[in-house]
Amino acid sequence: MRRGAVLLVMALGGCSALYGPQSSAMGQGMESAHIGNLFDLFLWVTVPIYLGVMVFLALAMRRRQARVQGAARPEQEAGWRLGLVLFAVTSALILFGLSVATWFTDRTIARAGAGPALSVEVIGHQWWWEVRYHDPVAGRELRTANELVIPAGATVKVSLSSPDVIHSLWIPNLAGKQDLIPGRTSDVVLKVPKPGEFRAQCAEFCGLQHAQMALPVSVRAPGDFAKWYNAGLATPPVPGGGPEFAGYSLFTGRQCASCHNIAGTPASGQVAPDLTHFGSRTTIASGVLPNTAASLDRWIADPQRVKPGTQMPQVPLSPEERAAVVAYLESLK
Amino acid sequence: MKSIWPVSVLMILLAALVGLGAAVLATTYPAPHATFSDRPVVYGALPAPQDRARLASWAQPSPDGQWTWQLGDSAASRFSPLDDINARNVAQLKPVFTFETGLKRGHEAGPLVVGDTMYVTTPYPNDVYALDLTRPGAPVKWKYHPQSQKAAQGVACCDVVNRGAVYGAGRLYFNTLDGQTIALDAATGHEVWKAKLAEISKGETITMAPLLAEGRVLVGTSGGEMGVRGSLAALDAASGKLVWRAYSTGPDKDVLIGPEFRPFYKQDQGKDLGVSTWNPEGWKIGGGNPWGWVSYDPELHLIFYGTGNPGPWNPDQRPGDNKWTAGVFARDVRTGQARWFYQTSPHDLFDYDDINESLLLDIPTRQGLRKVVARPARSGFFQIIDRMSGQVLSAKPFAYINSMKGVDLTSGRPIMNPDKEPKEGRTTRNICPAAPGGKDWNPVSFSPRTGLVYIAHNNLCMDEGDVDTNYIAGTPYLGTEARMYPGPGGNRGVFTAWDPVAGRKVWEIREDLPLWSGTLATAGDVVFYGTMDGWFKAIDARTGRLLWRTKLVSGIIGMPMTYKGPDGRQYVAIFAGVGGWSGAIVSGALDPGDPTTALGFVNAMKDLVKRTDAGGRLYVFALPR
Amino acid sequence: MSLPCRVSLLPLAALTLLAACGRETRDFSNRMMDSPHRGAKFSGNAWRISNGARLFVWMNCAGCHSHGGGGIGPPLMDAKWRYGSSMADVAYTILNGRPGGMPAFRGKITEDQAWELAAYVRSMSARTRRDALSGRADEPANVEPLPLEKRRRARAVTPEQDAAQKESSKIEGTGP
Repeated sequence: MRRGAVLLVMALGGCSALYGPQSSAMGQGMESAHIGNLFDLFLWVTVPIYLGVMVFLALAMRRRQARVQGAARPEQEAGWRLGLVLFAVTSALILFGLSVATWFTDRTIARAGAGPALSVEVIGHQWWWEVRYHDPVAGRELRTANELVIPAGATVKVSLSSPDVIHSLWIPNLAGKQDLIPGRTSDVVLKVPKPGEFRAQCAEFCGLQHAQMALPVSVRAPGDFAKWYNAGLATPPVPGGGPEFAGYSLFTGRQCASCHNIAGTPASGQVAPDLTHFGSRTTIASGVLPNTAASLDRWIADPQRVKPGTQMPQVPLSPEERAAVVAYLESLK
Repeated sequence: MKSIWPVSVLMILLAALVGLGAAVLATTYPAPHATFSDRPVVYGALPAPQDRARLASWAQPSPDGQWTWQLGDSAASRFSPLDDINARNVAQLKPVFTFETGLKRGHEAGPLVVGDTMYVTTPYPNDVYALDLTRPGAPVKWKYHPQSQKAAQGVACCDVVNRGAVYGAGRLYFNTLDGQTIALDAATGHEVWKAKLAEISKGETITMAPLLAEGRVLVGTSGGEMGVRGSLAALDAASGKLVWRAYSTGPDKDVLIGPEFRPFYKQDQGKDLGVSTWNPEGWKIGGGNPWGWVSYDPELHLIFYGTGNPGPWNPDQRPGDNKWTAGVFARDVRTGQARWFYQTSPHDLFDYDDINESLLLDIPTRQGLRKVVARPARSGFFQIIDRMSGQVLSAKPFAYINSMKGVDLTSGRPIMNPDKEPKEGRTTRNICPAAPGGKDWNPVSFSPRTGLVYIAHNNLCMDEGDVDTNYIAGTPYLGTEARMYPGPGGNRGVFTAWDPVAGRKVWEIREDLPLWSGTLATAGDVVFYGTMDGWFKAIDARTGRLLWRTKLVSGIIGMPMTYKGPDGRQYVAIFAGVGGWSGAIVSGALDPGDPTTALGFVNAMKDLVKRTDAGGRLYVFALPR
Repeated sequence: MSLPCRVSLLPLAALTLLAACGRETRDFSNRMMDSPHRGAKFSGNAWRISNGARLFVWMNCAGCHSHGGGGIGPPLMDAKWRYGSSMADVAYTILNGRPGGMPAFRGKITEDQAWELAAYVRSMSARTRRDALSGRADEPANVEPLPLEKRRRARAVTPEQDAAQKESSKIEGTGP
């Protein structure tokens, strides 16, 4: 039924992206399932009511015409009045029922966050996402940026906050929008049954680059997730030589280290995205460019040309130096 | 004629309202020179002789009237057996000579006296003078000026202070701000050896007074506000070579935790807790600098010292208990191997460095005398810890505390108050005690004659808000904005006489300004201390009654000491030179227009500029002949 | 409204808009660094000052100087300037450090960022265009910078300090 409605909208609007990785139509999260059921209920109830109302409207108009033409039959009045009363009562009951159904759906979604298997903190900055995974052992807390990876089938509680302005996290396939408000912590619960790759976006205007603040979300099988997590905790080795080592020296000796952090190096900046395992990420600058050597070179050469207003300055590097830094960063798998 | 009653009633009501408003204003905003009575507030009686704490049995406080260590003896008593100056004649004290250092920063050290010579250390540039006490006016015998890096002044968190030297076996040992430990020949002032223990490019400095114990010079670094990984080093006193170095964070092999380590509490037992109780790599810039006092028990061969705050101040950036910061270590002085540890402030939220002195006392219990470590901690609790096992026997507040509800003696953990937890993006208000704590570094004294510990300390509260901070080596690593103000009662300082056995205050004196001087107790039953606006005071050791006071040229944040001169008379010496963290508004000419200046301290000290000036003068007093 | 009135409003409106142009220009191209008037361009530009405010916290300037009151470092919101108060002087101090302990930030920040910081530092003592200053931030240190004349009257606590402030303000100006 839902699929049919969506297909109808597609036919009318021609949006082919509805089946893609950033689509709220074919939701896959736990929230989507509950809300989807509610949607179905509403559809099944309100469409017949709509059709019924249209029929009555047509009949009423015909009756009006008849009366004008003098063909009205008075004994039908009482019947109509009864029908009207019945209709009003039924409407009230149906509305009440729908409200109760909504309330229960809402409560189910709210309760679903209890006892999460994984607790993640997403902090929205202008204009990138910081992601911190919590663990009872502090030494196993993982910090990354501009990617959110969660295990399939587990309840994941994502707490949201922001140090600067209001952002909003919207993973259309998995959950609704939730604001990141400075001074407050809000949260959204994700429970995704099957692995998949999705794309989230900032959904609250937050400045010059609000439109270029996407977040790749990857849902992986629990085994794959554990592998990714442990690899993320590992400290990448300092390169032995070659362009990677030259890039490492430049990175830690120049302006890069003032803002970025790479574990195992003297670069411990905390105000820009953590780059410890940058090589494994799918995008650069929070979904703006794909993570390839050419794009990274373009980004470092002039970030303002790619994402004007971004807080990363144009660091003075010669093309050879830049190539070395790119080689180093791409080697951080 | 109209009735006058309505109008007159109205006038009376109006007058009452105005009066009420004025009264409310006066109590909320006390006048700048709020006066607090010198009369002590008495809470209870002195302990009976059999109930008194005693100094550790092996301790011999300052025999021969000398003063070779800032804390008096290795049990940290700051007690002198000299009794020529007593409660009856102290009011006759007169200044005998003065000595100007020529510097106008905070003077926290006290002089040492060995034989006929007095040794004085100064704040940066850390000069050392030897004064000849046999000649009138005590002229300079020699002066030593260390070669040190000027840029060290840019990484010293709390004024460019130095807490003094230590004397042993004909040598004087002291530290420079830029991280050197220097040994001088006490007779000539020639440099014997020099060791470099700290790098200012990483934000490290040294301000503490080194302890001399079993042929080792113990030196701890500073830099908890600069993202420095703290460590305590032991240098060979003869050669200056590094014997061992114990870090305050990181893997067990760096912290010198080995098979001898027997911590009393469960949370301190485990492998490499100095790594796993931090976010990954956080321990490398985690603080824990032991910049305060070290005590030494020669019978047990143990040293006791506390580690400083974890870095950054913003706790959300360093989840976990953050071992081994903000706690007290017992180590074998010969090898550096840790024996036990107790964390006063796990996952510290308020900059409660645990570097305060550890008094080594024996307290009477039903089972006889028990060897303990008595510590007036920064958190405001007076801790009594078993010297051998590290078990906390009691922790009672000597200052007003609302940041913690108490200490759970079963687990050893403080019971935190969740309302006072600082949060990012919000300001948490009225946290008591403020970051300088119930008491900061300035050391207490203990009198075995009264059984009381004399504590000069603070009564400050603060508002705190946190932001994520960046790490750049050589720059501060904080993430906190704070604003301090007087605590309940309006007095910023308190002088407390504390009975460590009963765990209670016996009497206290409320002071307008925070008290940042050390205290000195003598066998003449007189206790000396100084205020930040320059009053040097002598009070009765039993009752706290003010016996004598005199106004010095600058505020006092130094440590008073007493000695017997070559002529056999007893002298009392104190430095006047306000500064340090509390006096930074004067010594650093800071601007009170910004309430977060000096990590919020300036907000509480705006009136200090009007009440005293910067200076650097040593005063020596004696009774008239 | 009569025709002459309406016509005279047009140039007025145009002037108002133009006055805002320089203050609010966002130039992402780094071309400003080569301009001979870059001092004025930075210190009169609201966006540059606001970037400077952000960098002031990010680069830990606030750790030593608090929000202008000083601490490890000297106050930045008063009239005393040890090494000069012009944009070029302050930017030099930031990039190269100074002997008393000010670290050198060359290699840690770009020149552009140093000039933004210089613009912000000067704004702390209201030496920049008043209309280019950032709004009051919602934080414990939310203090608006007072113009120097008002501050001098409020803060002179001893005759010596008053004289010193008058002396130093004579040497400095409020130029770019």
